[in-house]
This record gives sequence, C-alpha cells and structure tokens, in this order.
Amino acid sequence: MKLIKKQIPLAIVFITGVFTLVSYYVPNKTSIDYIETMNKWQNIVVAFAFLLGLVSLFFSHYHKIARKADGWGYSIFVFVGFLTIVISAYVSGGRQMTDAGLTPLGWSFKYIYNALSGTMFAVLAFYIVSTAYRSFRIKSLQAFVLFVAAFILILGKVPLGQIIWDLALGWTGAGVDQVIEWIMQVPAVAGKRGIMIGISIGAIVTSLKIIFGIEKQYMGKD
Amino acid sequence: MSETWIIIGGWLAAGLTIFLFSFLYKDNPFFKIAEHLYLGAGMGWLFQVSVTNVWIPKIWEPVSKGELLVIIPSIMGLSLLTQFIPKISWISRYGFTFMMGYGSGLAIPAGLSTDFMSQIEGTIKPFSLLASMSPFAIFNSALIAFGAICVLFYFFFSVEHKGHLKKVSNVGIYFLMIYFGAAFGNTVMARFSLLYGRFDDLYTFSGAKYLYATQFILTGMVIYFLVYALFAGRSKNAIKA
Repeated sequence: MKLIKKQIPLAIVFITGVFTLVSYYVPNKTSIDYIETMNKWQNIVVAFAFLLGLVSLFFSHYHKIARKADGWGYSIFVFVGFLTIVISAYVSGGRQMTDAGLTPLGWSFKYIYNALSGTMFAVLAFYIVSTAYRSFRIKSLQAFVLFVAAFILILGKVPLGQIIWDLALGWTGAGVDQVIEWIMQVPAVAGKRGIMIGISIGAIVTSLKIIFGIEKQYMGKD
Repeated sequence: MSETWIIIGGWLAAGLTIFLFSFLYKDNPFFKIAEHLYLGAGMGWLFQVSVTNVWIPKIWEPVSKGELLVIIPSIMGLSLLTQFIPKISWISRYGFTFMMGYGSGLAIPAGLSTDFMSQIEGTIKPFSLLASMSPFAIFNSALIAFGAICVLFYFFFSVEHKGHLKKVSNVGIYFLMIYFGAAFGNTVMARFSLLYGRFDDLYTFSGAKYLYATQFILTGMVIYFLVYALFAGRSKNAIKA
C-alpha cells in the first residue's frame, strides 16, 4: 500500500520534473513534443483542479442554505450569478459578439461581470488611500523615502500634479515625467532586481526540493 | 440585443456598481447581494472559459476522434475530486504530484533564464558599452548595480548583519523603499483609473437613454439608509427605555 500511496506519486513528481527540466535544455523534436503534450495535460489537470474549487464552493454555500445559517439568503446569489453566466454562455456558444451585436454572454459580461469586477477593484482605491494615510506617517528616513517615491508617482500622473510640479520645481528644468521615468528605470529597478534574483533562487531551490522528494507537504498527511 | 435589453443592462450595471460602492458608507444587504453575485458570476465566467478552452477542445474533441491519450490527464484530474471522500483522498496525490512535478520542472529553467540570468545580465551588460554611453547613463548603470548588490546583501542571511555588512544592507533598504513606493504609486493610479471608469459608466447610465438609472437607484439607496437609520435609532431608544 505504501507503494501506491506514497512511492508512485513521488516517482511521478521526480520523473515529470526531471523530464520537463531536461527537455527545456535539449533542442530536439521529441523534447519539444513532450513539452507540448505535458502542457496540454497540465491544462486538463488544472481544469479539474478548478472543478475541485467550484464543487467545494457550491458545497459550502449549499450547506449554508440547507442549514439556514446566518446570511444564508445571500448564498442563493452565488448560484444565481453562476447560472446567469453559464446559461448565457451555453446559449451564445461561448461567443461574446456576433455580427448582430452582443450575445447573451457578451451582455452578461458587460453589464454584470465587468460592472462587478471593475467596481470591486475600484472600491479598493479608497482603502489603499486610507491605508496609505496610516502607513505613510513618516517615522523614519526609510519611510520618508517610500513616501516621496509614491507621492511623486501619484502626483506626476494627474494633470494637477504636473501643474504643481512645474510651478514649484519647473526652474530645475526636469519635468515630473522625466523624474518618474528615472525613478522607475534606475533606483526602483535596483530594488526590483535584488528581489527578483532572491525570488528566483528561492523558486529554484524549492522546485529542486519538490522534484527530489525532500519537500512533500503538498501530499498531505498519510 | 434589443434596446430593452440595453436599458435593463444599464439598470443592472448601475445598480450593482452603486450596491458595491455603498459599502464605503457601511455594510448593508445590497452590498452583500452584489458581493455574492460577483463570486458566483466570477466562478461562472471561469467555468465557461474552462469549458470553451479546455474541456471541449482538449478533452471532448480528441476523445471523439479516437485520441485516447487525453484520458490519462483526465483520470489524474478526476483523482483530485477524491479530496471530498476522506477515505480515498490519497488518490488525489496522483493529480497533485503531476502538477507539482511539471510545475517544478518548468519553474527551474524559467526562473533561471527570466529572473536570475536576465536580471544579472541587465545589471552587468551596460558596463560593456561604457565607451558609447553618456556620463549620466554611466552613473545610472553604476547606481543600479550598486543598489542591486546592496539589496542582495540585505537578503543575505547566512552572515550576521553587523559592521560594514549592516551599513551596506541598510543602503539596500532605501532602494527597496523606492521600489515599494513606486509600486504602491502605480497600484493606486491603476485602481483610480478603474474608479474613473466606474464613474464614467454611472454618468452614462444617468442619461435619458437609460431612463435615469443612476439617479433612481442612488435615490433608492439614500432612502434605504435614511429609513434604516431612523428605525435603528428608534429601536435603540426603545431598548434604553
């Protein structure tokens, strides 16, 4: 049983991982075909993984409705939203536009999904600003540097900010656009590079640990 | 799409937008309805994308043509669903291990080439072109290299940060702060751009073409909050009495 439960899954990780890694560095038709096939397989498995999440969400909200838990009425709207999009997608054959104009799926996307997702992220603008007010209280020189960088970025991207900059610092000859570009291209790149190199080393080490079976927490408990 | 459906769409979009914005005042049932609807619609959208882009072209069509190889990943994918049955949930390891193995195998070369090597290359390469660079460009390249090294020192935990190492890593923090500040500024502006978009839509739906949807729904929400505040105040007074 240990073979089926543990060793074969670990062998799958090792073989798939090593083959994928080697294929990347071997310019050969077989390795290219292998990568293409594995990519398709990965898409298929991920589609089922999405189904796992979907069924889990439905179970959670179904139980809430069945038990008449607090706020169970809102859970109905999860199913309403889901069915609205899925039924309209079925009716439209997955297309948003035809020669006649918007399909039911296009209509649902424009007036329901787009409105909801756009507003949900737009609302975050207010919370980001309120968080900024609390976190930007300048307590140290480092916090001041962060504040200045963010302030210039925000100021320089609105017309009023550009006018203020020109009035106050126009004599320097440097426009706010140029300053923003310099910040983004020079000091911010230096900071980003350090992080990117660190992340890549971390990702490579973790991947090696997974391939060689040192890291296997994702397999869960026995 | 007929004119009626466009008007209905305008009312729906204006309503959902205002319901979500109403959370800025306080939590309320309309916000919760819109929030749950968003969750369902989001999952519905991903589901239809999954069906259109994966289930039909990558599973259904190949199987219909007799290409049975896709059954292997389908079985691995199905194994994930055993997570719902605790007794046999170990079967899901077959699907998970495939995803982890393939993902790890792909992450190593991708991380090496796009993040690790290209970042080092980008830092070093300008120094091979010094003769053709302006003094300001040379200063910029030197500053990037200096900053990147300082940041790397900051993330180097194998040695205790004291003495010169501490000074260098402290300089690295300033470069990190500039990056975080710039990233924050960009995020804020992106969010505000979405906000302008929503306000623009609300303005559009306030026109006669949409039968003044925005004004009617906004008025309805204000009346709801006023009535709610009135009743909430009365019930508080009743409890006190």
